[in-house]
Amino acid sequence: MQQNILLMLSNKLIVFIIISFLLACDSNLIYQKKDFIFGTMIEIKIYGEDKTKSDIVSSEILEEFHRLHQLLHSWEKSSITEINQAILKKQPINIDNEIIHIIKDAQLLEKKTQSLFNPAIGKLIALWGFHSDHLPSSIPNRKKIINLVKSFPKMEDISIKDHLLISKNQNVQIDLGGYAKGYSLDQAKKILRQNNIKNALINIGGNILAIGQHGNRDWVVGIQHPRAPNAIASISLKPGWSIGTSGDYQKYFLAEPSDTSNEFILVKNQRYSHLINPHTGFPENKTQSATILIPPSDNSGVLSDVLSKPLFIETKDQKITLAKKLNINHFLIIMADGSVMISQNMLNEINWYDEPDAKNIITD
Amino acid sequence: MQKILLLIRDFKPGDWIIIIFFLFFILMTIKFFLNFPNGQYLKIQKNSEVLGIYSLNQQNIKIIKGQRGVSEIVINNGKVRFTKAPCKKQYCIHQGWISKINQMIVCIPNQISISIIGDKETHDSINY
Repeated sequence: MQQNILLMLSNKLIVFIIISFLLACDSNLIYQKKDFIFGTMIEIKIYGEDKTKSDIVSSEILEEFHRLHQLLHSWEKSSITEINQAILKKQPINIDNEIIHIIKDAQLLEKKTQSLFNPAIGKLIALWGFHSDHLPSSIPNRKKIINLVKSFPKMEDISIKDHLLISKNQNVQIDLGGYAKGYSLDQAKKILRQNNIKNALINIGGNILAIGQHGNRDWVVGIQHPRAPNAIASISLKPGWSIGTSGDYQKYFLAEPSDTSNEFILVKNQRYSHLINPHTGFPENKTQSATILIPPSDNSGVLSDVLSKPLFIETKDQKITLAKKLNINHFLIIMADGSVMISQNMLNEINWYDEPDAKNIITD
Repeated sequence: MQKILLLIRDFKPGDWIIIIFFLFFILMTIKFFLNFPNGQYLKIQKNSEVLGIYSLNQQNIKIIKGQRGVSEIVINNGKVRFTKAPCKKQYCIHQGWISKINQMIVCIPNQISISIIGDKETHDSINY
């Protein structure tokens, strides 16, 4: 009898040993969830929490993303499209505190970036055909573009008084395509904090926010090569840091340039990306990608989303001045010819997979 | 020998279960490690500090300064080895080539280690 009890105990002991071996495996410490919102991939990774808690928290985050998607969408019915319709009709519209906060924040960022980040050019983006789930295939009428640029819609045209929003420029149409993902990252950060999750990684369409660490090492993210199907390098994100890239390789179409008056243009298939220069009305084509790292702050998600755009659009010789002005110490810019501009701070942290030959290292 | 036989005769069923279980466990572990796929990247470390991660798809020589002197590491299309080390015994060089995920060679005197990692371990997510 006693022997049987011992046998049972030893069996239990073995099962216990197996389970503890399995739990010791790293893969069981990582919780992963993927979804498709904002027209892009969402990836949530949580390190070192039990599965039930991770499930609950990540569902809460995804729910918040769905809410923001419906709140901020640029062309499907949302609070933003309601505002845009009111502006077209020259009517004032009542908006809630969250939208007030977002619009005021966008106004500040627009000012800071000398309108290189301009979320009021929804009309221009729609004209280029990027307000659709399908990519456009042709270049819009040049006159229409020029007319829109001349009227120069900007966030400053919007004024808010007692929850009432009015725009003095009828061409203002808000498009938060370059803001919403970053804002969502910051919201996710709040949810993680409320739930006391210490280690997580959130990726919304390439915009990534790191919370804490992956075990005893930092979270490591790859940086996409703009012209090859692999990562060009990887970088460790210290706790609280975020990374954002503006690239011409995600949303673009190829077409012949509309300017056929110039016989010398031999470029048959010019690339037209969704990154439109608000000052010219045309997609910027001298840069392939601009990647930035943003240190921890309450709005680091927004900054990582917003500030890569001005750096992408700005002319080559002005990029460094702009980066300095915007306090971006970590940047990696790949120009149209494949040459690389990289800040010394970024170079110190980067691990190349495909090291570029031509590197212009920016020391400050 | 006699003593061992006597010992085995005294084994209880529980002992046998434990012995069989651990033999099985050891065999599975060996099988698991033999089946490791080829890696994609080389990780060079000095103590625990990562000096760099490099693609294995190249022919290249990396010269690394360690605690004692210079170690030379050769990457040759999918495999890696030490070719020079500033130590007497040269154990790390005699280890030869490594190519499978989690394989590792350590040069203790110079405090340099090289290990093979796969795609998954190089980054947790991708920025685009």
